[in-house]
Amino acid sequence: MDIGGVIDYLVGFAIMAMIYAIFTLGLNVHWGFTGLFNIGIAGFFALGAYTAALLTSPPPDPEQFEDFVFGGNLAHHDVLAWGIDAWFFLGIAAAAAVCGLVALIIGSITLRLNDDYLSIATLGIAESVRLFFLNEKWAANGSKGLYRIPKFLGDLIPAENYDYLYIVVVLIVLLILFVAVQRAARSPWGRVLRAIREDEVTTAASGKNVSHFKLQSFVFGAMIMGVGGALFAHHVRFLSPLTFDPLLATFVIWAMLMVGGSGNNVGAVLGAFVVWGVWAGTQFLPGVFSDPSFRLLMIGVLIVTIMLLRPGGLLGEWRRIVARRPAPAAGRDATGSD
Amino acid sequence: MTDSSPILQVRNVTKDFGGVRAVDRCTLDVMPGTITGLIGPNGAGKTTLFNLAAGDLSPTSGQILFDGRVISGLRPHQTFARGLMRTFQIPRELRRMTVLENLMLVPARQSGERLWSTWLTPWKVARQERQIQARAIDVLELVNLAHLANDLAGNLSGGQKKLLELARTLMAQPKMVLLDEPGAGINRTLLRDLSANIVRASVERDVTFFIIEHDMRFVMAMCDPVIVMANGGVIAEGPPTTIQRDPRVLEAYLGGYVNGPA
Repeated sequence: MDIGGVIDYLVGFAIMAMIYAIFTLGLNVHWGFTGLFNIGIAGFFALGAYTAALLTSPPPDPEQFEDFVFGGNLAHHDVLAWGIDAWFFLGIAAAAAVCGLVALIIGSITLRLNDDYLSIATLGIAESVRLFFLNEKWAANGSKGLYRIPKFLGDLIPAENYDYLYIVVVLIVLLILFVAVQRAARSPWGRVLRAIREDEVTTAASGKNVSHFKLQSFVFGAMIMGVGGALFAHHVRFLSPLTFDPLLATFVIWAMLMVGGSGNNVGAVLGAFVVWGVWAGTQFLPGVFSDPSFRLLMIGVLIVTIMLLRPGGLLGEWRRIVARRPAPAAGRDATGSD
Repeated sequence: MTDSSPILQVRNVTKDFGGVRAVDRCTLDVMPGTITGLIGPNGAGKTTLFNLAAGDLSPTSGQILFDGRVISGLRPHQTFARGLMRTFQIPRELRRMTVLENLMLVPARQSGERLWSTWLTPWKVARQERQIQARAIDVLELVNLAHLANDLAGNLSGGQKKLLELARTLMAQPKMVLLDEPGAGINRTLLRDLSANIVRASVERDVTFFIIEHDMRFVMAMCDPVIVMANGGVIAEGPPTTIQRDPRVLEAYLGGYVNGPA
């Protein structure tokens, strides 16, 4: 067995799992903390990925075959045909900003309504984004897709070893986002969100502007998803509307959160690794068992098993436990009642 | 206190639900510093009136003033900000949050409720959290729930949930509290604690209470004045002893059989 090949594979696996962990953190903000039923993750996934890919695309290079044939990623843009060639992290920031802006618009329209309307809206957005990029050829080459999306510091390392650099980049971004979400979730802000999840009426009667907080949560979670989309674009380096199939861009992420533990950020990351492990691992099964449909079935079996054995997910929701205050008076200790 | 103006004024308020008129040209005043009772048969419109005052519903017509300013049509968090807080007849605790968290949610203007503050000034947030937590534990000790601070609120008994509702109002430091049947379903001992806490809050913190209650012993012992509603309107108002003997009240409660068939 080729040890180097195995390690290469595991690094590639970890990159994808960590990118999915970012989406799962975003979904945890929406669903785990606030109870927002976002079933259109694919929409923010695609928006983030396309934004980063378009902004960082370099000028067309006639030496490259695809650019020679198609004229570059931005060939159909009148003004931008020469390529914007933005810095990698600027692309990530822009991906987050675009997703945040779209979430702000959708959210301010739908979040005041019943929860069901938000779900329908997110589903609609996901499909609209996909159809937009499929049909509006000027925007991102339609079904031909975007190719040769640049690597961050791609000149530094030979192509076959590039994953070893990219895994560090993804790990750093994941860590930053994890700390940011964890801080927010365990603060009074996160407490208001969980209160909204439990009972909006009580939360409003406790003086909190419920629609305001829901909007913040929706925008914040969407921005995290945008970052995930951007990292994904620079990893796979090819995007087409087919990439954002609801199965691998929405359903799998829900599976990750449910398996890992909704409302628990560590659980979200763990769930991403477990579910992606099942998805990626089953491709090595013999014969019909490595069919995508069978592999998907395995994720379904995993969800059902977890829901039966550990309904809260592998880790369950985190709960703050406060130490009992020591008895104030010595006399009270003497009674032995406490 | 005799020359002060009412803290809550309900002016000719009507609320229709489709064809049902739940509150019908209702007018009443609640004076500051009082523990005012609101009684009446089931379906009289008492809870609807609370929902209208707290902003959970908007009146079909009429006005509600709090502290001299119109509050009808405001949303619940806005009436809360003016100093008006309500509890629910059927406790609406935050089930999958601890008892302590249920209380720590309540204080207004927490710096940690701003997302960026949780990242940029975590020490300020942490300091405020310690203060709020200490206050929440004080309140829990006051209502004898301190030993349950870390339990999920959904696991409390019915009576304990009632106490938690009261505890939430003590966390908020409001000017006025609308209590919707605080005594329903809780035992005599707890009810005594509850009454004591209400009286203490009323005297020490200068909170006005407006209480819907069916337990007449509780109402007669605690409330003065007592307002009686029936069919969406006020039919009587006065000190409890007078109300108890008022024939209109007896008729509303007993459905017109006071003078009975001979």
